[in-house]
Amino acid sequence: MDLPCGTRGYSYAEDMAIIRTKTQWALFLTLLALLLTMPLYVRSDYWLGVANLIGITLIAATGLNILTGYCGQLSIGHAGFIAVGAYTSAVLTNRLELPFVVGLLAAGFTAGLIGLVFGIPSMRVKGFYLAIATIAAQFIIIWVINHWGITHGTSSLIVPYASIGGFVFRSEASQFYLIIGIAILCTFFAKNLARARVGRAFIAIRDNDLAAQVMGINLFKYKLLAFFIGCFLAGIAGSLLAHCFYGSLLAEYFSLKESILYIGMIIIGGLGTTLGPILGVLFVRLLHQILTVEVVPFLEGALTALPAGFATGISPMLFGLIIILFLVLEPRGLAHRWNLFKSAYRLWPFSY
Amino acid sequence: MADLLQFVITGITVGMVYALIALGFVLVWKSSGVANLALGQLVLIFSWFTYGMLVQAGLPLWLGFALVILFAVVLGWLIERVALRPLIAQPILSLITVTLGLAYFIEGVVTFIWPKSVAALPRLFPQEPIHIGTAVVSQAYLWAAAISLILFGLLSLFFKYHKMGIAMRATADDQMAVQACGIPVTKIFSRSWMLACMLAAIGGVLMSSIGGITYGLVETGLKAFSVVILGGLDSFLGAIIAGPIIGLAENLGGGYLTPLTWPGVREVIPFIIIIIVMFLKPYGLFGEVRIERI
Repeated sequence: MDLPCGTRGYSYAEDMAIIRTKTQWALFLTLLALLLTMPLYVRSDYWLGVANLIGITLIAATGLNILTGYCGQLSIGHAGFIAVGAYTSAVLTNRLELPFVVGLLAAGFTAGLIGLVFGIPSMRVKGFYLAIATIAAQFIIIWVINHWGITHGTSSLIVPYASIGGFVFRSEASQFYLIIGIAILCTFFAKNLARARVGRAFIAIRDNDLAAQVMGINLFKYKLLAFFIGCFLAGIAGSLLAHCFYGSLLAEYFSLKESILYIGMIIIGGLGTTLGPILGVLFVRLLHQILTVEVVPFLEGALTALPAGFATGISPMLFGLIIILFLVLEPRGLAHRWNLFKSAYRLWPFSY
Repeated sequence: MADLLQFVITGITVGMVYALIALGFVLVWKSSGVANLALGQLVLIFSWFTYGMLVQAGLPLWLGFALVILFAVVLGWLIERVALRPLIAQPILSLITVTLGLAYFIEGVVTFIWPKSVAALPRLFPQEPIHIGTAVVSQAYLWAAAISLILFGLLSLFFKYHKMGIAMRATADDQMAVQACGIPVTKIFSRSWMLACMLAAIGGVLMSSIGGITYGLVETGLKAFSVVILGGLDSFLGAIIAGPIIGLAENLGGGYLTPLTWPGVREVIPFIIIIIVMFLKPYGLFGEVRIERI
């Protein structure tokens, strides 16, 4: 099902390659070219901003997918870990005036370490207990950010633009290249991680952690590693969010609702697949944009008798419904649908 | 020391309402193994619904409350039927996340219908505060505690003597055996959701009669999680005992720790307790320690 008919590998390297056929190479390069020339044909800064948000969200969702999708450790505090990254980076660059690159890496490591702390209960508990521990993490983190003197989350913290060397990422287009570069790196990293020993250990832990332990997988090490990687990527995403998207931070950007939305994204996309986060993030963020920018103003113009909460209430209602429907009807997500489509397309016009 | 008595009384009374809400969680968890993370949002929507009935529609109290309970039962039935029935025997991850989706959906519905962020219920309990020793306690707290106590009593009678209550306990004990005895397990699931929603509704009304209807009610529901974690997920007794403990810790901590730390410490104490319990005694005070085998 994975490969078109007649694809053979004559060496180990060939067999392990991610991109196997000429068609795949052609499609991949076309997609890459389309992606990298995006600022040339998407002229509006607004839609480039949306693309940037999608890229940043993809980085965070990839992290969550490693933690929840591959390793099976449900985290409902992802927005909290993103907030840790965002504030670390903001405080380092704003108050201490360190360079952006230092802030970016420090954001990743701090979020990763905080993730480790809240990941320690995963040694003894799982499932619902862990979910609650991560919700607790979310609330404790946001409380600390709100009240700690140097972050002070209730009043906005100004964040300088990202800059590397002397170059300042001021325009949406330059930010786009920065974000998309990191996002591609992360996706590539996640894809390879999943195929390596670490990823296989994660999958074994997800499917049955006791059995994995019996097979000689060090649960302590791998569960914490999953927390570290997941939260590291959250931290990187947080830093980018601070420097390239918000510009000034408020703790309320990182609410529990946002955390639930991240879970929703990877479920909609498909847990435990590389394609999943990409599809899920695109689906959720684009739907949200289209809903708030196109549909809601249109409906508000067309229908006069809408309730007052229509504009703010419609998107959480819809997303909640979509999450439920996906879990009930297609728990393996859009990625699975895409694979079904591919195999059907390859065999067409025969049924199997 | 005058404060101490005040904190203790407020803490214990509020804690009883937490325990009431937490019982709904334990009920669903025990009978169907579903962790209901939408508890806070359920409390929120029932409080707003009460507001809609009593204030917006101007119904008399008895009719309004009857409709609220009816709504809770219908919503509980609907949730079980639409969202959870198709997921029976799915991995726990799906069972948890579906309630997250539900939480998101309910929050959307609330902002959709009631875009105001705060509202107050009409006065349900006498207004004048009662003096207990040095403490001055508003009557709403005492009434809430009394109603919770009565409901604890009724519930324990229900579980002990009523046919449905016994069937629920049996389902919690062994689903296969119950099915073999000819008790429809799905019906039990559905009934326990209805009951849980009823408890959430009553808890919501009691909480909003104390503090008004705000978004903080969601956090009340989340505090019920710390009650169940402390008491043990599958223990009714644990929830009833842990509720007042959490309420007490929250109020005492809020009273005495705020000068030492930052304001708002009251709100995070239940979450800090969750983390501490996870480290020390992950299955809670009265929870059954599960031994897993491959």
